[in-house]
Amino acid sequence: MTENESTAGGTRPPMVEAEGTGETVGEAKWSALRELERRLPGLDRSTVELVVLSEGERGLLGVGFAPARVLARAHGAPPAPPLPSVSPPASARPGRQAETPEAVMLVELLERIRDALGIDATVDVREAEGTLTGTFRGLDLGLLIGKHGQTIDAIQQLANAALSRRAGERVDAIVDAAGYRERRRATLEGVADRAAARVKASGAAVELEPMSAAERKVVHLHLRDDPDVVTTSEGAEPSRFVVVRAAE
Amino acid sequence: MEELVAYLARTLVDHPEQVRVERIERDDAVVLQLHVADVDVGKVIGRQGRLVRALRTVVRAGGARRGERILLEIVE
Repeated sequence: MTENESTAGGTRPPMVEAEGTGETVGEAKWSALRELERRLPGLDRSTVELVVLSEGERGLLGVGFAPARVLARAHGAPPAPPLPSVSPPASARPGRQAETPEAVMLVELLERIRDALGIDATVDVREAEGTLTGTFRGLDLGLLIGKHGQTIDAIQQLANAALSRRAGERVDAIVDAAGYRERRRATLEGVADRAAARVKASGAAVELEPMSAAERKVVHLHLRDDPDVVTTSEGAEPSRFVVVRAAE
Repeated sequence: MEELVAYLARTLVDHPEQVRVERIERDDAVVLQLHVADVDVGKVIGRQGRLVRALRTVVRAGGARRGERILLEIVE
């Protein structure tokens, strides 16, 4: 993804561009548009100019395939805030706050996993309100996150088992990879909202997909203040799932 | 990957000095045999097998990186 910002004319907000790729021009347009909206929250789509950079090559049996590329650009209004970089240079990041023995241990554990998996990422551990959070940052963390987050969840489980043993009491640290937990939380809240809407419309209970305890908690907390539904967890680990029902 | 498994296992057990990982190459896969003291077997398996499942998930990810299928066995 390229990122070019130039100020046109001085008084206008800077032009912001985002490039998207896809198997077809249509997909590439959507991808570019989504990326631009991420950079310019509240973007008015009618002001976006789309430029097809390449229509792509379909290729034959995977040979000669080239994705379609589309550039989306619009003037940010108001001027775009500084964009959160996926992986700022190490010097730009505040120093890690790995002071307690548990924090030091978490750094070591995450760095060893990163190295054994051959992943290009930095590890950052900090403590806030009694919760230790270890975060991997890098550009290509898919392997570390795994399908449905199963690898990052496994790493978190191993880290908590090791930390709890060291501390002599239960430790619930969070292990994250470049905003994965926040994205996942937003997804889960969307799932919870849709389930609640279906329950209200039909009156019938809705069973969600199996989730980890931490993910079920996100759903329970999100629907806790909705007086029209109640949530419970049912089934046995590791396939325990949330059920949303109409309140009595 | 052997070193990582040994390191992770040592964080979980009472007898880290007895942790040893042996790598066995098979035609279709690499088997990592994790040896721990008898009394520590339950500690690396975890409640309802959660820890050994987590270890296997991490090992599988490491194998995927190298294009290998890596299996993990626990041996007393």
